[in-house]
Amino acid sequence: MSETNSKVEVRDVDVFYGDKQALNSVSIDIPKNSVTAFIGPSGCGKSTFLRCLNRMNDTIEGARVEGSIKIDGEEINDKHLDPVILRARVGMVFQKPNPFPKSIYDNVAYGPRIHGLAQSSDELDDIVEQSLRKAGLWEEVSDRLSHPGTSLSGGQQQRLVIARAIAVNPEVILMDEPCSALDPIATARIEGLIDELRENYCIVIVTHSMQQAARVSQQTAFFHLGDLVEHGPTETIFTNPREQKTQDYIMGRFG
Amino acid sequence: MTESVSKPAIKAAVEARLAKRYRSEARFRSLGLAAIFSAVAILVILLGSIGMQSLPAYTANEIFLEVDLDRDLVDPQGDGSEVSLREGSYARVLQNAMREQFPEVRARRDLRQLFQLYTALNAPRLMDEVIEDPSLVGTRYRFRMPLSDDMDLYLKGELLDQSETRMNTALRAEEEGRSIALVSDNAGFATLLENQRAALRNEAVALGASADELDLRVQAAGDEDVSALVDRIANLRERQQGLLDWADAEDGVFRLDDTLPSVIVEMAGGAYKLDGVSVDGTRATGRAVVQPESQSADSWNLLVVDVPESRRRSSDNQLVWSRVLRDRGVIEEHTNRYLFGNADSREPELAGVRGALHGSILTILIALILSVPVGVFAAIYLEEFAPKNPVTDLIEVNINNLAAVPSIVFGMLGLAVFINVFGLPRSSPVLGGLVLSLMTLPTIIIATRAAMKAVPPSIRDAALGIGASQTQTVFHHVLPLAAPGILTGSIIGLSRALGETAPLLMIGMVAFIAETPSLDIEGMTQPATVLPVQVFLWYDGAERAFEPRAAAAIMVLLGLMISFNALAIYLRHKFERRW
Amino acid sequence: MSIDTIIAFSLLVVVAGGFYAGRTRAIRLVGDARRELHSLPNYYGYYVALWTGLPALLVLMAYALIGGQVADRMVVSELTREAAPLTSTYLETLTNDADYQALTAAAAQQRGRVVELNEEISRLRSTRGEDRDPAMIEARRAEQLEVLNLATDTDAQAVRRQEEISQGILDSIAEDAGGYRIRAGFQLELGGNAAKQLFMADARRIADGRIASRTSPALDAAAASLVETEALIRRSVAGLVILMAIAGFGLSRFQIAPSFRARNNVERLVLVVLFLSSLIAILTTVGIVASLLFESLRFFREVPLQEFLFGLQWSPQIAIRADQVGQSGAFGAVPLFAGTAMITLIAMVVAVPIGLFSAIYLSEYAGTRFRQIAKPLLEILAGIPTVVYGFFALLTVGPFIRGIFGALGFEDVVTQSALSAGLVMGVMIIPFISSLSDDVINSVPQTLRDGSYAMGATKSETIRQVVLPAALPGIVGAVLLAISRAIGETMIVVMAAGQGANLTANPLEAVTTITVQIVMLLTGDQEFDSVKTLSAFALGLVLFILTLIMNIIALRVVRRYREKYD
Repeated sequence: MSETNSKVEVRDVDVFYGDKQALNSVSIDIPKNSVTAFIGPSGCGKSTFLRCLNRMNDTIEGARVEGSIKIDGEEINDKHLDPVILRARVGMVFQKPNPFPKSIYDNVAYGPRIHGLAQSSDELDDIVEQSLRKAGLWEEVSDRLSHPGTSLSGGQQQRLVIARAIAVNPEVILMDEPCSALDPIATARIEGLIDELRENYCIVIVTHSMQQAARVSQQTAFFHLGDLVEHGPTETIFTNPREQKTQDYIMGRFG
Repeated sequence: MTESVSKPAIKAAVEARLAKRYRSEARFRSLGLAAIFSAVAILVILLGSIGMQSLPAYTANEIFLEVDLDRDLVDPQGDGSEVSLREGSYARVLQNAMREQFPEVRARRDLRQLFQLYTALNAPRLMDEVIEDPSLVGTRYRFRMPLSDDMDLYLKGELLDQSETRMNTALRAEEEGRSIALVSDNAGFATLLENQRAALRNEAVALGASADELDLRVQAAGDEDVSALVDRIANLRERQQGLLDWADAEDGVFRLDDTLPSVIVEMAGGAYKLDGVSVDGTRATGRAVVQPESQSADSWNLLVVDVPESRRRSSDNQLVWSRVLRDRGVIEEHTNRYLFGNADSREPELAGVRGALHGSILTILIALILSVPVGVFAAIYLEEFAPKNPVTDLIEVNINNLAAVPSIVFGMLGLAVFINVFGLPRSSPVLGGLVLSLMTLPTIIIATRAAMKAVPPSIRDAALGIGASQTQTVFHHVLPLAAPGILTGSIIGLSRALGETAPLLMIGMVAFIAETPSLDIEGMTQPATVLPVQVFLWYDGAERAFEPRAAAAIMVLLGLMISFNALAIYLRHKFERRW
Repeated sequence: MSIDTIIAFSLLVVVAGGFYAGRTRAIRLVGDARRELHSLPNYYGYYVALWTGLPALLVLMAYALIGGQVADRMVVSELTREAAPLTSTYLETLTNDADYQALTAAAAQQRGRVVELNEEISRLRSTRGEDRDPAMIEARRAEQLEVLNLATDTDAQAVRRQEEISQGILDSIAEDAGGYRIRAGFQLELGGNAAKQLFMADARRIADGRIASRTSPALDAAAASLVETEALIRRSVAGLVILMAIAGFGLSRFQIAPSFRARNNVERLVLVVLFLSSLIAILTTVGIVASLLFESLRFFREVPLQEFLFGLQWSPQIAIRADQVGQSGAFGAVPLFAGTAMITLIAMVVAVPIGLFSAIYLSEYAGTRFRQIAKPLLEILAGIPTVVYGFFALLTVGPFIRGIFGALGFEDVVTQSALSAGLVMGVMIIPFISSLSDDVINSVPQTLRDGSYAMGATKSETIRQVVLPAALPGIVGAVLLAISRAIGETMIVVMAAGQGANLTANPLEAVTTITVQIVMLLTGDQEFDSVKTLSAFALGLVLFILTLIMNIIALRVVRRYREKYD
């Protein structure tokens, strides 16, 4: 993994919630145009780490992040850097689909509107359509864009949320267990979508399911009890892990 | 939307709008902060203004009067028995003592004013003290009674605006026929004279201005009938001229009458009321209200009361007497013991909150006894036993709606059902407590259910698991754990009942009750009033002195409620349990 | 110690005895073989104690509630029965008295004339155009007034004649105890309902040894009879209580056997008590609805419903005497509805923005420390009694408003105005709205906020575009509840809004509201049968229905909202 190929560079990141340390000195490089999966048992800090990448930890009272996180060489873990700009560059998709209490159209148009990305309503229409198409939802909802976002099925909602995230054309998309609330068919669709999106975005996905990590990711990082135990190409991690702990986890000895 | 072009462009677009977005963010945030601060500011103003208004009520000017309990007057039968003592003429005793203070007051009209410095209700108070201790008969006794409410406010500086100037020059009094002339060789009355004349001239200018205005209207009127206007103008001009003449005082003496501010000169322990000042400011004429100890003095007090005597209830004589009595040490300002020791009274100086306080205690006690057990029982039934059926649903809907029924409607229920159908005694704490308990019931039920819901099911399961019956589970395990919540809910509900007024007006608790109800079963069926209603009875009382008392009653009420709530908060913290 | 206390105390002792007896009997029955008992020994004790105490307690409660009333009724019927011969003589004399009959006939005829004139006037008034004759209307109205006065005079004469006759009859009665009783009965029989109530109230005061508003030998006789009857009732109740206690004790103790399911029986009884307690909530509602409805129906028999709901004039000041014709007051409640609406509107204009923004700040922006201080401060605002707000409105806000508007050149601004009452009511409602909205905003799921933040939205954008739309139904519910609170609020408006039933849109004028009029009509001395008093209940019914509807809608909206996010 060459220097120029990495999108995000993380060095010695510690995260504290109050007095409790949730992450211990994590360092990792995340490559461009590929999918990186974070795996590990629950409470291992993988979601916490994910939330560092777009500074969502700022919204939690008492949370403190130390260390260096650079995106394209620019330091983002810096109190002076505005998280609003950062989050426009780093989109996020959550565990539970969370469409806003608005129409499908307004959900997707939300980002472009608040950031002022469209000069005219035609342009906005265009962005919405493109985003929905990329998210593979256009065919299903083009005739009911004014319906509330919450009227869609769970899988559709999650794709709507992805469309919402890519509407501002972010550089990185973070996904926090995006399929954990979905049925297998909807999961398969999302996984397919992730694979398509890889061409244009740097995607980081936290997942509980090792099969999913194996299916969608090129890189995998294994977290345990706040430590980044091991990371590397997915194939290597699954077939030939360096650490005993990783092996145990992958073999299902604990979880 | 090709990647290479759009991403930096997006970043630029986001940054371009950022300043504007943050300005709007700051605006929104400060609106929120402003809302909270305005609410808190209103709270501070509310409590502060009522606190300030209540201040005059906490102290009272009292007359410590040396009374001669002459045997002939107070014990007409001469046997010292209670019957005889009750027939005594205590009003006369008080009057004699007042006359002793001011022997120069003889005219009947003046005497009546003098006796108005205290209320006639003090005579029975004196009688009670004598009956309490019959050995006082025949002795001189220092009787303590409150000064009349107006004079009390006056001495506290709350009633009238006045200016008091200390003059360190010589002044001597000379007899001049039936009146007295006061001579000040250094023209000590000059400033007074100037001020009064200037005031008159200003008034004349104002009259002239309104006349000019009317003149313009007459000119603009055309052929309408303006005779009425013309008359008014003539009248205004005449009055204007009259004032100017008065101010000029061409005969050399400026006349002071009861339409002008009252002017009083205090010297050598006595006081004169002025009725004229010479235009050179060296001489003034007037009458002695209180005889001074000597006819001349090196320093004197010039007192100007801005409101003319004709426009207030209290006479200049009364003001002077009060001041003199205070200087003599007969009137002293003390903590207002009547406020907390007495029940309501028609006379503000004797009115207190004790009766209402007792009424409140009795009423809340009844409400407590009735509403807490019934509320808790009902909650237990609904939470633990009620089967899911239409009747239960109906009860649930009912309770939620009852919680929001206006309190006055409960009062109407009390009137129509408890008074007119069941014939419960009107105005009594029993009735008030009953009405308030119905009103509080939903609050207690809802609070109890919430507290029981908060007890985790594992406790129930554990108890049921070892073979306890449902009833045993509830009474032995759930209820004790829910007790703190029930307690806090009940206290909050009852503290709201404590401040409730409207329903009690419906059931006649607004009556004027001059007796303090006793704190026992007997007192529960006697007519009574409660603190909030007492505030309502006093807030627009004819006497101004009721206003600070109403404010003081509010402070007592708030004090009670705050201690209630503090207790609730304390209990909540002490017993709070997190599962 | 009064007899009541003794009865209550001895009942307590008997109950304790019952417990002891039941328990020991159960133990004795099985001896050492405690396991043979179906339930713990205590439950046998509870069982006996409950059956001993409960029925007796119910009798006592019934006595406490209606004992006085029963005594009154008994005394009244006894006295009127004794006075019956006298009453019939009196009525006979009255029918045979030529003077009196002539006077009543004249009065009836005059009143008939008034009604005729009334009809004629309305006919004259309804003509339009050429045929309208204002002079004629005036003349007829003058005539009507004259006849009315005449009728009133005639009535007065008739009453005087009536009094002469009754005095004559009363004079014929002996001045002894029996005679006084007859007098009392006579007065009770002929006095009408209100007079009867007053008479009995005075008699009760005398009987209790308190000071009555007036005294007479007849009252003393009634009081003596009252004392006697009450003693009788009390003795019988005491006897009944003892009897029931003994019967309960005996029967329940008799049932005790080792196999007796004491616990189940006790629990069933407890359950009944619990159920009855929860029924009180229903009984309260039934009582409210029944009393409001009953009196309102009587009111609507006198005043048509549409006149009440749509009439533009409210002046319930009714005739001095019940039988007086003509001025029956005006009962058009629109000015009250308008006043209530205006004050509620002003209150909402104050409370909704301040309350909502406070809630937003507290739940979204404020740190823990700030919230810990600010929230209780707002709650204090909610705990302040309304009479205090009224005091504040009248003595601080009213003069302040008058000062401001006076300085702005508005003349004759009054201290009691819709504005000052509305503003202060708004302040009272701020914490109501803020705490309800706070709950609602807090129950908006965090994932929605995270979704918005993750898009790069600022806090205010998130709140305005995501949180508030999500919370909207709940906030609407809160506002509805607040409106219902404002409509029913009494003391602030009674003290600060004035009493004039003005139909105005000017908030600087005094207006009146539904609650103010209820207070005006029901405080002080009232005859329970007058239209004026009944109208208060009609207003109460309107108030009840209005707030009920608001609450039902609000609770439904809020519940649906909660279900959506739970």
